[in-house]
Amino acid sequence: MKENRIDKQKQPTFLMAVKKATISFFSFSPMILAVIGLVAIFQTYVTPSMLSEFFGHGVALDIFDGTFIGAISSGNGAISYVVAEGLKSHGVSTYALISFILAWTTLSFTHLPAEASVFGAKFTTYRNILTFLCTLIIAYLSVVTQGALL
Amino acid sequence: MKKIEFKGLKFLMVVVVIFIFLALFDFNNIPNILDKFTSMMYKIIPIFALVIAITALINYFLKPKQIMKYFGEDSGKKGVFYAIIGGVLSHGPMYAWYPMLDDMRKHGLKFGLIATFMYARAVKIPLLPFMIGLFGVTFTIVVNIYILIFAFLQGKIINILIKEEKNEISVSDRQK
Repeated sequence: MKENRIDKQKQPTFLMAVKKATISFFSFSPMILAVIGLVAIFQTYVTPSMLSEFFGHGVALDIFDGTFIGAISSGNGAISYVVAEGLKSHGVSTYALISFILAWTTLSFTHLPAEASVFGAKFTTYRNILTFLCTLIIAYLSVVTQGALL
Repeated sequence: MKKIEFKGLKFLMVVVVIFIFLALFDFNNIPNILDKFTSMMYKIIPIFALVIAITALINYFLKPKQIMKYFGEDSGKKGVFYAIIGGVLSHGPMYAWYPMLDDMRKHGLKFGLIATFMYARAVKIPLLPFMIGLFGVTFTIVVNIYILIFAFLQGKIINILIKEEKNEISVSDRQK
């Protein structure tokens, strides 16, 4: 039934496709404005110097802290490298730095309400838990693998 | 003309309330917040245009049946490959891609491929020089290989979790 219905759908004209894409995008504008607003508030109140105080408590905790802090921080991916550079100069470990950068780009607490309303609470919960765990594992494995290679 | 159904209005209201609260109790930081907000908006506008263009091209060139073929239940290795390439090449914040993913999901895009796409975005080609500068070439290669492996694994696990839930639901429906 579903296949037949899909088969019967006609290919839109290019103008129709652009119109549909634009309408679809603008229907998300309140959500996008909300996320940007929340990110701006977070960036104002959470500064890099505050972040560096969380590290230096052993490999396991550093990876966990890096992932957690990366997840609560938001913004352009390039900023994560600038912050990581600053954290490195404070003696923060590679484990923490890589987990921080990975979490910054793949996890974001400020995006959670938006992600849940688009893809559903279950997918958002599964994905974020898995991403959190993957980030912890990758941070550990990467440092260990590099040590074995060099 | 079809009326636009706005998404995230409640979320926006919550953020507006937080903003009003901050304006009342910490007004000094408001110019800072507004400055960050406008600078992010300026940076993101070209990405919005890119997302609209890609969505329009997908709608134009791919029929729903083709989207199901490349990204649906039976998409197989090709679907994973396209999701990874898409994730690696996509720019800007994740939320800018929600409209496109939502649109494709309505045409059969698998949840597992959304997860793969989202994690593959951790490979940032334009930022690789920063990563090399910070960690060295070997470490950068190792991390990025792991990211791609785990993007694939995450997609597989999400598919299993969501498929099992669907099966449980359909079994309980049949029992009723």
